[in-house]
Amino acid sequence: MATFDQFENMYDMRLKPVMLRCLIRQYLPDEKRPLSLNHTCSELPKLVSIVQTFRLLSESETHSVDQKLINTWRSAVDDWVNRLELLLSSDTSDKCWIGICLLGVTCLECSNQRFLSSYTVWIDKLLSRIQPPADSQLVKIASCTSISDLLTRLARFPEVKKDGNLLAGKLVQPVLKLLNEDSVEAVLDGAANLLYTIITFFPASIHHHYDRAEAALASKILSGKYSTKTLKKLGCCLALLPKSKGDKDSWPLMMQKILISISDHLNEAFQGVEEEGKADEARRLLVPPGKDPPSPLGGTSFKAARNSERLPASTVSSLMFCCCKMLTSSYPFQVTAPIRSMLALVERLLMVDGSLPHTMLPFMTSMQQELICSELPLLHACSLELLIAIIKAMRSQLLPHAAYVVRLVTRYFRSCAPPELRIKLYSIARMLLISMGVGMAIYLAPDVIDNAFNDLNSLGCEEVETSPAKIGPSTGALVQPSNRKRKHGAKTGPLEKLDTTGPDVETPNMHQMTPITVKIAALDTLEVLLTVGGASKSESWRSSIDSLLIKTATNSCKGGWGNEEDNIFLPHESTSIWTDFQLSSLRALLASFLAPTCVRPPYLSQGLELFRRGKQEAGIKVAGFCSYALLALEVLIHPRALPLDDFYSAYHNSADGASHRFPEITHFSGQKQDTMFFNGMRTTKQSAAESHHDDLYDRWLQNENIPVENLEDHISRPKLGEKPCANDSSFTNIVEVSEQEPAAANSGALERTIDEITVQPPNFQESIPKSHEIVSAEVSMIPAVGRNAEGTEIEYKRSSPACDQDMVSGDDVLADKVDVFENTHGNTCSTLSNAEKSIAYVGHLESDSSMDSFPDIVDADPDTDSD
Amino acid sequence: MNIVVASSSVDGGIGCWDLQTGAEQLRYKTCASTPHGLTSVGSRFLACSQLRDPSATSGHVLYWSWSKPQAQVKSFPAEPIKPLAANSEGTYIVGGGLSGDIYLWEVATGRLLKKWHAHYRAVTCLVFSEDDSLLISGSEDGCIRVWSLFLIFDDVRRQQASHLYEYSFTEHTLRVTDIVKGYGGGNAIIVSASEDRTCKVWSLSRGRLLRNIVFPSIIDAVALDPGEHVFYAGSRDGKIYIAELNATSSTSNGYGLHIIGSLSDHSKPVTCLAYSAEGNLLLSGSEDGMVRVWDVKTQNIIRMFRHAKGPVNNIVIVRRPAPPLRAESKEQFSSRRHELSLPPPLEKYANSTDEDMDNRTIITLPDTRDLPSYLSSQLINDHIKELQQQGSSAAAEMDVERLKHDCKRSMQMFLKLKKTYDNLQEFCISELLDGEQKGGSEGNSP
Repeated sequence: MATFDQFENMYDMRLKPVMLRCLIRQYLPDEKRPLSLNHTCSELPKLVSIVQTFRLLSESETHSVDQKLINTWRSAVDDWVNRLELLLSSDTSDKCWIGICLLGVTCLECSNQRFLSSYTVWIDKLLSRIQPPADSQLVKIASCTSISDLLTRLARFPEVKKDGNLLAGKLVQPVLKLLNEDSVEAVLDGAANLLYTIITFFPASIHHHYDRAEAALASKILSGKYSTKTLKKLGCCLALLPKSKGDKDSWPLMMQKILISISDHLNEAFQGVEEEGKADEARRLLVPPGKDPPSPLGGTSFKAARNSERLPASTVSSLMFCCCKMLTSSYPFQVTAPIRSMLALVERLLMVDGSLPHTMLPFMTSMQQELICSELPLLHACSLELLIAIIKAMRSQLLPHAAYVVRLVTRYFRSCAPPELRIKLYSIARMLLISMGVGMAIYLAPDVIDNAFNDLNSLGCEEVETSPAKIGPSTGALVQPSNRKRKHGAKTGPLEKLDTTGPDVETPNMHQMTPITVKIAALDTLEVLLTVGGASKSESWRSSIDSLLIKTATNSCKGGWGNEEDNIFLPHESTSIWTDFQLSSLRALLASFLAPTCVRPPYLSQGLELFRRGKQEAGIKVAGFCSYALLALEVLIHPRALPLDDFYSAYHNSADGASHRFPEITHFSGQKQDTMFFNGMRTTKQSAAESHHDDLYDRWLQNENIPVENLEDHISRPKLGEKPCANDSSFTNIVEVSEQEPAAANSGALERTIDEITVQPPNFQESIPKSHEIVSAEVSMIPAVGRNAEGTEIEYKRSSPACDQDMVSGDDVLADKVDVFENTHGNTCSTLSNAEKSIAYVGHLESDSSMDSFPDIVDADPDTDSD
Repeated sequence: MNIVVASSSVDGGIGCWDLQTGAEQLRYKTCASTPHGLTSVGSRFLACSQLRDPSATSGHVLYWSWSKPQAQVKSFPAEPIKPLAANSEGTYIVGGGLSGDIYLWEVATGRLLKKWHAHYRAVTCLVFSEDDSLLISGSEDGCIRVWSLFLIFDDVRRQQASHLYEYSFTEHTLRVTDIVKGYGGGNAIIVSASEDRTCKVWSLSRGRLLRNIVFPSIIDAVALDPGEHVFYAGSRDGKIYIAELNATSSTSNGYGLHIIGSLSDHSKPVTCLAYSAEGNLLLSGSEDGMVRVWDVKTQNIIRMFRHAKGPVNNIVIVRRPAPPLRAESKEQFSSRRHELSLPPPLEKYANSTDEDMDNRTIITLPDTRDLPSYLSSQLINDHIKELQQQGSSAAAEMDVERLKHDCKRSMQMFLKLKKTYDNLQEFCISELLDGEQKGGSEGNSP
C-alpha cells in the first residue's frame, strides 16, 4: 500500500488518509474481530488524540491539492463513518459505546459539508440509544454527550436553526424521561448536560414541555440526594428554563417560586434558631398581601418528601445557586427582580448563627442545634454567593439598597470567621467599592480596614513554615480577643503596629492563624479601597494602612521569591500561592504609593528597593509587575510638566516655575500643594505685574540637555573622583531641584549649591533635623513667622525614621554615604513643595550656619515681598 | 459611531449629525430645550426638558427613541425642570427644579425615588461624577454643591448627618452657568463657570478651590481637555478662551492670568461646548444657530452644522453602535428587544403607597454568554478511567458478558473435572474392592 510512498514530513497531506485507514484497521473492532475491552481502554484516548492532533477527519485544505488525494481522503473518512455506524448498531454494549463516543468526536472534527449532510442520520441513531429500556448506563451517558456535541456544532450554522429546533424538540421528551425515570446519578448528570445544551442553543424547542421540564428538574433538586455537582447542573437548567418561553413574566415567576421554596425549607430548618415571625415576614415580602401565591415549584402535584432528621442544606444551596444563575445570565427582556425579598433572604440566612433565642431554649435539643451549626457555613456561603450575584445583576440600580447591603456586610464581617467566607466577604467589599465608587468607599472604609488589619497582622500558617527564623518582639496583644476591636485607631503609631506581625513561634495560637488566601483577599481589597477611595476623607487611616502595607510587602518578600513553576507534588491550587501573596502585597503597596494623599509616600525608598529586587530576582509574574510598578512610580518621582506642543509655537514664552505645579494637584493633590498653588498664583500675578519674565523654562531645557555632564563633573570632582558610583537619576534629581529655584537664584548660586552637596556628607546627620525646621518654617508660606506649621510637622516625623535608618546603615565608606545622602535627599526633598525645594536645600546644606544664610534666600523668594 | 446631538431654546427640533462623515441623521421634532436640559440616557434614547417660556410655571420632559422623529413619552414633573442629567448606565435621571429642588427618578419604572431641597434658588446645572457616585449641582445663587448619592439614599445616616451635601462651594458670586467634571472618581477636579466672569477649578477630594481665573467676559460654557492640560471657555463675547490647567502658560496675550489663547470665529456669543475625545475635536454651539467643529491642534474649524435660527443651547456627543447590516439586524433586535421600547414617563410625586413596587426593581440582566463546550473526548477519558478501575456499577455492567463467558467456560471445566473425579473414584473403588478381595483371599489363605 502506501508504505512505499515517500512523505515529505509529518505535515504532508497525503499522510492523513493513510493514517486514518491505519487507525481504523488497528483500533476499531468489527464484526469479525471481538473486542477486548481492556485493550481498547488504553488505546481509545490515544486514537482520539491522534485524530484530533492531525485533524484526520477534517478533509480541509482540499482546494489546495489534487483530486486524487481528495478522493482518497473522502473514502477513508467514509470508511471511518461507516465503521462507526456499524459499531453503533451493534448489539453488544461495549462496541456500541465505542461507536457513540467516537461519533461524538466525529461531530466535532468532521468537515462542515459532511456534518450538514449526515447530522439527521446520526442524531436518529444516537437517539435510539437513549430510548430502549434495557441498555447500559455508559451507553446512555455517552449518547447524551454525543448528542450534546452534535447540537453544539449544529448551533454554529444559523441557516439550519429551524431544523435544529425541530430536532431538539424531538429530543426533549426522551431526555425528560431519562430525568424522571432514571435514578442513577451519572445518567442524570449526562441528561442535565444535554438539557443545558438544548436550552442554551434551541430554547424554543422546549417551549411546549415547559411545565414538565420544570417538574422534572424541581423534583430532582428538591429530593436533594445527589452530589453537589449534579444538583448544580440541574439548578442551572432550571435557571435557564424561562428563556425557552421568552416572555416578560416567566423569569419573575420562576424567581418567585424558587424563593418561596427556599423560604419554606428554611422555615422548617430554622425552627428554634431564629426569632418567631421571621418566617411570616419573609412570606409577606414574597407574596404581597392580597395576591395569590403562585403554584409551588415543580407544579401542584409534587410534594417533596421531607426528612426531619436531615437539614435541607443541599436543596437550599442548589436552589440558591439557581437564583444566582438566573441573576447572572442574560435574558431577552427587562425583568422585575424581587430585590427586597432576595436581600431579606440573604440577611435571614446570615443572621442565623446557631445561637438560640431565649424564647426558644426549651424547645431545642442539643442535637438539633449541633445539626444546624454543622450546616450553617454552607448556607452562609450560598447566601454570600447570592449577594454577589445580586450586586452583579443590579449594578447601579442597587443604589437605593446600598446602605442596607453595607450594613448587612459590615455586621456580618465582624463575626465571620471561616476563611472561605471571609474571602467571599472581601470580594463583596471589592465589588461594592468598584461598582459604587467614592460614595461607597467613605462608608465601607472603616470596616474593611478593621478586618484587613486583623487578618494581615495575625499569624499566617504558611508564613511560619517558610520563614521560621523570623521572630519579632513579643506580641502580647496578639492573643487578646480585644484585638478585633478598632486597632488601627488614628493615634496608633505605625511602628508599634508593625511589631505585631512578628510570629510568635513558641506559642502558636491556632485561633489567630490566618490562611494566606485570606491575606491575599485582604490585600486585594485594600488595593481597591486605596484606588477608589484613597482621595476622599482618608486622612484618618492612610498612614496606618501605608505602614501596614510596606511591612506586609517586606515580610512577604523576605523569605525569597515564590516559585512560579508548577510543583507537581502539590495539589493544583497551592502551587503558586506564595507568589500570589507576594504579587498581591506588591500591588497593594503600589496602590498605597500612587493613591492620592496629602503627604509624600513615607516608605517610597523601601518600596522602590523591593520593586527593584523583585524585578531582578523574581519569577516572570512578580518581576513583570515590579517593572510595571517602577514605571508607574517614575511619574511620581519626576512629576511632568510638559509644554503643550500645540500651543507652544503660538505662545512661545517662558513659563513661571509655579505653573509647573499643577500636575501635583491633580495627581497627588494635598494641602500643601494646594497652598503651593495659591502661592503660585500669587507669584505669577506678581511677576506678571512686574512683567518680569525669567527664562527658567528655557534654562530648564538647557540644563537637561547640556550642562548635566558639567554638573556631573563638578560633583564627582571634589570627593568622588575614583568612585563615581552614583547613578544618573540621582544627578538629575539634584539638577531638577536646582531648577526649581526661584527666578532670582542665579546660576552661580546653583553651582555653589552643588559643590556643597558633595562636601557636606560627613556631618549631615545633624543637619537633617535642622533643615526640617527650616523647611517647615518655609512651607507655611509666611517666611517671617514659620513656627506654626503643624500640618507639615507630621510629615517630617514620618520621613525622618526612614532617613535615620539609612544614615545608620551608611558608614565610613564615602560612596555609601553619598548613596545614603541621595536617599535622604530624595526623601526630604520629596516632602517639600517644589518652590521651597531649593531653599530647603540650601538651608539643609549650610546647616551649621543656616540661620545666617536664611535671609539671603528669603530675599531670593519673590513671595517675601508680598507679605 | 459618534453622533452630535444639538438642541435649541426655540423650537428647531433636535439635530443629529455623524461627527465623522458630517451626514445629518434623523431630526427629532418639537423640542425647545432648557440649558443643560438635553441628555442621552445610557445611549438608549434622548431625554430633554422643555420650557417654552422662561416664566412658565410648568414644564415637561420628553423622550425620543433613536428611530422615531416624534417624541414618544411625555412627563409632567411637579415644577419646571431646567437641567437634566442621566448617569452613564442610564438607570437614573436627575432634574433640577426652579425652586432649587433636585429630583431623582429611576428610568426603568419612572418612579420618583428621591427629591430634596438642594439650593435656595433654581438649579442651573447637574453633573454626575465619573464613577456615578457623586452628583454636582450648580445654582442661580452661585452655590455649587456636591452630593453623595449613597448618602441621599441612606435614611439612617442622613438623619445623623448635619447636612446632606458633601461639599458646598460658595465662592461664585453670581449664577453658575456650567460645570464640567474631570478625570477620576474621588480625586477629580471640576471646573465651573459663572456669570461673575470667572471660572473656578475645584478639587473633589479636598473640597476646596484650586484656581480662579478671571475672563474678559461672562463664560457660559466650559469644556475640559481629556488630558486636563487646558480647558475651553465659551464666552459671551464670541470667543472660546483656552485656559491652562496643567500646562505652561504665557501671560502676555492680554486676556488675563492663566488664559493662554482663544479660538474665535463666532460673532455671536458661544452658548455651549462639547469635547470629542475621539479625534480631539471641540464642538461649540452659538447663538447664531450653528454648531462648529474645531480641530484643537490646528485651531481651525473643520466642519459646521446648521441647526436652527435660534441659539443652540445644548450639544451632546453620543456614542452609538453603527447601524447593523440587514442580515444581522434581525437577530440583534430580537435578542435585545427591550432597547426599542421606551420606559414609562417620570412620575410627578413620590408614590409611597405602592409598597410592592418598592420591593422590586426592573433590571436588565447582564449580557453574558456562557456556552456549553464539546464534551466527547473528555467523556471518553472519564469513562475509560471508570472502566479501568472496574469499580463502578456501570463498568461492571459491561463486564457481565465477559463474566458470563468465563462462567460458561468454568462450568465446562467443572464438568470435565467432575467427570475425571468420578472416573477416579470409580477406579479407586474398584481398585479397593479388588484389593479387598485379594486381601480377603490372602487373609483367608494363611
